[in-house]
Amino acid sequence: MNVKFFIGGSMAVFLLGFMGKAIAQKIEFNEYDLDNGLHVILHRDNSAPVVAVSVMYHVGSKNEDPARTGFAHFFEHLLFEGSDNIRRGEFMKLVSANGGQNNANTTFDRTYYYEVFPSNQLELGLWLESERMLHPVINETGVSIQREVVKEEKRQRVDNQPYARIINNVFSGVFAGTPYRWQPIGSMDHLNQAKLDEFTGFFKKFYVPNNAVLSISGDIDIEKTIALVKAYFGEIPKGATVSQQVVNVTPITNTIIDTAYDANIQLPAIVGAYQTPGMTSKDARALELLAGVLSNGASSRLNKKMIDEKKEALKVEALSLSLESAGAFIFYAIPNGYISLNTLLEDISSEIKELQEHLISEKDFEKLMNQAENKYVAANARNNDVAENLASAYTFFNRQTNHVNTALEEIRAMTREDIRNAARKYLNDHQRLVLYYLPGR
Amino acid sequence: MVAFLPEAVVAQRVKAGNAIDRTRPPKPGPAPVIEIGDPVIYTLQNGIKVLVVENHKAPKITATYFIDRGPVLEGEKAGVTALMGSMLSEGTTKHSKDEFYAAADQISSEISFSETGGSAVAISRFFDQSFALLAEGLQQPSFLEAAFAKLKSQMITGLKSNEKNVKVVADLVQQAILYGKNTAMGEFPTAQSLGGLNLNDVNEMYRQGITPSRGYLTFVGDITPEKAKELAEKYFAEWKGVSITYPVIPPVDNPSATEIDLVDMPNAVQSEIAVANLISLKPGNPDYFPLLIANNILGGGAEARLFKNLREKHGFTYGAYSEIGAGRNQTSFKARAGVRNEKTDSAVTEILREIQLMRTEKISDEELKNAKALYNGNFALGTENPGTIARYTTDILINNLSKDYYCTYLQKVNAVTADDVLRVSGKYFNYNNMRIIVTGRAEDVLSGLRKLGYAVKQFDRFADPLPGSASVVKE
Repeated sequence: MNVKFFIGGSMAVFLLGFMGKAIAQKIEFNEYDLDNGLHVILHRDNSAPVVAVSVMYHVGSKNEDPARTGFAHFFEHLLFEGSDNIRRGEFMKLVSANGGQNNANTTFDRTYYYEVFPSNQLELGLWLESERMLHPVINETGVSIQREVVKEEKRQRVDNQPYARIINNVFSGVFAGTPYRWQPIGSMDHLNQAKLDEFTGFFKKFYVPNNAVLSISGDIDIEKTIALVKAYFGEIPKGATVSQQVVNVTPITNTIIDTAYDANIQLPAIVGAYQTPGMTSKDARALELLAGVLSNGASSRLNKKMIDEKKEALKVEALSLSLESAGAFIFYAIPNGYISLNTLLEDISSEIKELQEHLISEKDFEKLMNQAENKYVAANARNNDVAENLASAYTFFNRQTNHVNTALEEIRAMTREDIRNAARKYLNDHQRLVLYYLPGR
Repeated sequence: MVAFLPEAVVAQRVKAGNAIDRTRPPKPGPAPVIEIGDPVIYTLQNGIKVLVVENHKAPKITATYFIDRGPVLEGEKAGVTALMGSMLSEGTTKHSKDEFYAAADQISSEISFSETGGSAVAISRFFDQSFALLAEGLQQPSFLEAAFAKLKSQMITGLKSNEKNVKVVADLVQQAILYGKNTAMGEFPTAQSLGGLNLNDVNEMYRQGITPSRGYLTFVGDITPEKAKELAEKYFAEWKGVSITYPVIPPVDNPSATEIDLVDMPNAVQSEIAVANLISLKPGNPDYFPLLIANNILGGGAEARLFKNLREKHGFTYGAYSEIGAGRNQTSFKARAGVRNEKTDSAVTEILREIQLMRTEKISDEELKNAKALYNGNFALGTENPGTIARYTTDILINNLSKDYYCTYLQKVNAVTADDVLRVSGKYFNYNNMRIIVTGRAEDVLSGLRKLGYAVKQFDRFADPLPGSASVVKE
């Protein structure tokens, strides 16, 4: 069952007849909008006394001003600083002192905040998230401390981390001219230059109920939760309509060859990247399957050939990154011993050509379908996973929350021809960026 | 398992409509009742203990075989145990690696091996095949010369690839400096030790380590105890191997006076700091629970003192944490943080200050209450994962804990007093006889560290003392 309904100001709260035990793997949910535009998704699972309360804001690094990058991620930190009713430093303490866990993360397209509590603390989770949305404290103290923290985060995760800047180089090339060209961590200079009113302005623009999904999964009573959600979130004023960024990727028509250096590495890497469509496209599914053929499991084509047979690579991987409005198909390899990067590049390229010229076997196709099923079963293991997957489906799949349940069917509807055609359409040599990623400097 | 939100509380607040009181955190409902089910346990004829946790929530089963072997002293053959573990993934006498992983990947089963056993995860309808492959990999590895040569070269290249990885080097040298480079806990592989290995070494390590002795076979997920028993009998009961005794490792002394051990990594932009000492805390020791609380308040997470001080107050770091462990052999207490080079000495000072505070001043009632609440909550959250019960039971069996150890876990946590915390902080967190291990760019951090007044010893990234780096003590 998948009831979609709305609660208006004057309408009574609906009583939902919740179905009994969910059939295997189907995720039941209820969803509706509050008057202020906040979309609410509720999933009940009483198998453990746990509840996950989350808010997904449809704002990520792609919504940033190119001269002020890193804002969305900065807010991931700033929105733990407190509210009119929560003193600085108390937010996380309230969570742990009540037996919960919490965190947040930021991508190119959205920011996700969550708490996981014993189920008798549902209301606390709602209070915390509603305080954050209604009236967070954004002041100089918080901004200046979190600036330093974010700089340390960048040093730890990027500057001190081997191979961490591959993605910067790839995205700045593949997504040149679009807001995907910079990373969510952003520019420290931009954060230094930004004035307080720029931060408050960013909050007012994007962190509004009509740009957010409240997703709750766990041991809850649906009817009571609906009443509590209204009590805590109903008073938050609606914001101006948020228009999402348009991303126009300029197609690569001649191979781009680039070189970058990393002081944290001893072994070089060869990297290739192609432009692909956004995550709702059917081709995005085909490209994910293609990545699987190439490098999912020890028997996959690149692993088998380059690591086991020719013993020329220490590591090789192909992956399809699907963002909201565009994507990238990326491969990389690290040589084992003194093998040249061009040898690795040729071997990967020839496997990709093979996929353009020939259909994969029926047996390989069946393997891909089993892998997809396995991934699907594993994806909803914990309440916080379910809450996030429901919110992502609504946010990115044209408000089709039920995409969590149809995702596997979509993949099963793919054919071997779809896979070959995607390789032909997107993975040609002239359409790619090749990056030589070298030790030094 | 029962958990509920009491109707009265909810109805009251909601009736008030918009009049909910935002100024204070809402009150919780009554604590949910947590019941930990008992797994089914039995023993195979060769001594393997089989545990089954039945949970049909998802159509998926995990099987794990774990050999409780303990730390192995490898000496000049450092790396041989890990290499043997990797060799288990290189095919069997019945199936080449190609065939083995083609079969596993075809059913999308994740099968992995290590020096202490292996695991198989599969969706239910493929589990029998997956489990058979796990058993085959453990019991009939092929150990071919070509695979050995390939893995050896990959491991050597892998070491090279991490030479400039500050975090990886820090983890290794911290162990080496704390326990001594020539101990099972402190040693680590080098290109030289790996280069000297041959296939016989791997065969011998397999014979000594991969065996039914001290073995635990755990099933978790969409499987009945009857079915699990049938599979265990079929694939594991006939297996034979050497008998293992858990090693007793001689304890290592902490330094007689606190010293700074600086490991130079010229490419570092952050220093990895570990303020640490070794502790002896056997599983089941009643000090464990107050120490758990003490550690939690010092550095258990984002609300703890180290994080509050180093990150939220000073912005020195992305995160600062502390850790303790109980073990049959020595374990360590560590307070650690990655901080930018120029704040290295300031961060050390703040870490030491927080440790000393724990040792000399009683924690507040609120801190104690909050720490207990965290463990109570986390215990409830743990029930989300059916594997938790298997983990608890294995822990009881391996460490010979009382049968009701986890049933009474929260009682023991809740009985801890502030006096207990003060006592164990003084006993297990050293101050005057510990190590401050800094892995970072010596050129940037050395002069600041010298000003702290402790002896400074310098090391290279292999944890060997640097020639000519005499200890310098500031007056």
